[in-house]
Amino acid sequence: MTGSAIFLQQIVNGVSLGAVYALLALGFTLVYGILELINFAHFSVFMVGAFVALVVLQAFGLQGQSVVLHGAPLVLVLLVALVVTMVASGALGVMIERYTLRPMRNVKGPMAMITTIGVSYILFNLVLLATNAQAINFPDPMPAASYHVGGVVIRLKEILIWIVSAALMVGLNLFVKRTRLGKAMRAVAQDAEAARMMGVDVDHVVMIAFFAGSALAGAAGMIFGLYYNFAQYSIGYTAGLRAFTAAVLGGIGNVPGAMLGGIVIGLIETLGSQYIAARWADVIIFSILIGTLVFRPAGLLGMLAPNRS
Amino acid sequence: MISRRHALRGTAATAATAALITAGAPGAFASDKVYRIGITLPLTGADAEAAHLILNGALLAIKLANSSGELKGVTLEPMVLNNATATAGQYDPAQAATNARKLAGDKSVLANVGPEMSGSGKAMAPILSMADLATITPSSTAPALTDPQFAGEFVPGGKPIYFRTVTTDAYQGPNMANFYAETLKVPSVYVLDDSGAYGVGLADAFAAQAKVKGIKVLGRDRLDPKAADYSAVLTKIKATNAASLYYGGTMQAAVKLVKQSYQIVPGIKKGGGDGILSPEMMTAAGFPAAEGWYATNASPHVVDDPKLASWVALYAKTYGVQPDDYAITSYDAALVAIAAIKAVIRSGKPLTAANVRNAVQTVKINGLQGPISFDKYGDLSTRVVAVFQFKQDKSAPLADMDKQTVYIGVAPQS
Repeated sequence: MTGSAIFLQQIVNGVSLGAVYALLALGFTLVYGILELINFAHFSVFMVGAFVALVVLQAFGLQGQSVVLHGAPLVLVLLVALVVTMVASGALGVMIERYTLRPMRNVKGPMAMITTIGVSYILFNLVLLATNAQAINFPDPMPAASYHVGGVVIRLKEILIWIVSAALMVGLNLFVKRTRLGKAMRAVAQDAEAARMMGVDVDHVVMIAFFAGSALAGAAGMIFGLYYNFAQYSIGYTAGLRAFTAAVLGGIGNVPGAMLGGIVIGLIETLGSQYIAARWADVIIFSILIGTLVFRPAGLLGMLAPNRS
Repeated sequence: MISRRHALRGTAATAATAALITAGAPGAFASDKVYRIGITLPLTGADAEAAHLILNGALLAIKLANSSGELKGVTLEPMVLNNATATAGQYDPAQAATNARKLAGDKSVLANVGPEMSGSGKAMAPILSMADLATITPSSTAPALTDPQFAGEFVPGGKPIYFRTVTTDAYQGPNMANFYAETLKVPSVYVLDDSGAYGVGLADAFAAQAKVKGIKVLGRDRLDPKAADYSAVLTKIKATNAASLYYGGTMQAAVKLVKQSYQIVPGIKKGGGDGILSPEMMTAAGFPAAEGWYATNASPHVVDDPKLASWVALYAKTYGVQPDDYAITSYDAALVAIAAIKAVIRSGKPLTAANVRNAVQTVKINGLQGPISFDKYGDLSTRVVAVFQFKQDKSAPLADMDKQTVYIGVAPQS
């Protein structure tokens, strides 16, 4: 491989990795933007999403790498799995909000955040016990097609990840910017009290935010499973912490910022592995987190969280 | 390190072994003096199946020694201690330490067989050392346990008490490097590890010997076992045109490494240590990605040897399961203890743990795996590393290690 082909290949690797981080970062940002709450349960919703997708795909008779589908059946199976996973993960997010966070809504201090850590650990340990801590082979129904452009290999899987992630992210952005509910969300983010006085159902808006963020985490979980072909109870933590870094880097509360942050972190990880060494990846990523917090606390694109009166 | 290899070979014969333990020592004479041999293994939780295969091996040796009458006037009784706990869900070094204190405090205990895991060994060794009580492990391979550099930590009593009927990772890595050079004849290699103590040590030992053998080591990097994406490292390896890959580590990183290396560097030779000689290679990493990977074991592969057929049949008949290679090293470990006890009886010295330890040090016997003696640190003098290759057998269950791997041979010793 030539030097430029290696560079481009690592860009391809980094964008695919970053797409997963970005989807995950959106959930952090959405909830933070509205409640100023860092939702650590998000890590585990992502992980549970991967397992939901695993169960759905297995229900279609897909086991390991043995069955490969093409054309319409492939699209149909993936679409059904994606919808079921997103709805289930969204519902899980809504339940977490309704039963553990809403009672804490008006409690000052870090109580709610600590609660999310607790919820995260409960889900983490439930899956650990259910799977006996084993890594599970995730079905891989996609044909192993790949395209060679220059010295660079782009796999069909990667193209699908880019398309699905981009569609979900653009969809969310339009939802927040253009719809009535999105406007209500922004209103609650700006001033929940005033929004309530204007007739906005704040509880409903918060619920929708949790549903959307968790559904995206579920989608990210399924994409993760399809791309890496395994699921394990521990996947939420590594990916989750990096996604959180991405959200901070882009400007927490800022939807386009989360997308940008995810891609940047993905690129840093792959290019860092290529030109420095993989063992330094975490050091680099988390130094960036600290550097951002120190020198540009609002992130690359600035916090969307508005001035509160 | 030792992993759950061969874990699914047979169902654990818990009931059968329990019956044998309570039955005590068949063939004992009423006038015999009863002494004990400890057997310390993780008999419940994740390691249970492999541990029972090991337990049976030691029990069989003790049973045969008692019934043969070769220990004139002495009957040996197995003292089986479980070192797994429910909280750990697997082997628990803290419980191993408690067991070691129990063994050390019992004057009738002359020696111990076990533990299975190096982590337990590290907890037991200092306690056993202070009591001058020898333990013979059938499977723990961490070099530190017998390395004179760590004698202050693991051998505070001064005399070696940790003996092994397997070799250590200090040979597993280098011998595999010899195999890469002499058998696979690869000109270059890229070496990775999983950041763990076992993996780093194994990969370093491999890389050092690979250089000696003239293999070009094109790179040496470390994987974060919790990360999911190794595509960047693998792309880097692809760019170096490395002819082979060596991985030191356990299954957590291997699951992802095996899958992604199949996609990014499918053509090159790949291998690792006993950390990847595990059913998870098939069940989690899966075929076709696992196909062709090499893996090693720190003991000779003798369970299929025709010379051992009658022993294997006796074991299977007695316990209702097929033995594995570590059932054999465990049988050998008990043979070592028995031979040492016989030597003490012959010498006329009092039968104490300290005298038995001295006798273990100089033991020379023919075990099932071949001649057994120890160097001055307690390591096995013969250093056999067996090489296996993963090869799918579609007619067999995925988790069946015996069917899904092919025995290649012994890695060349330097």
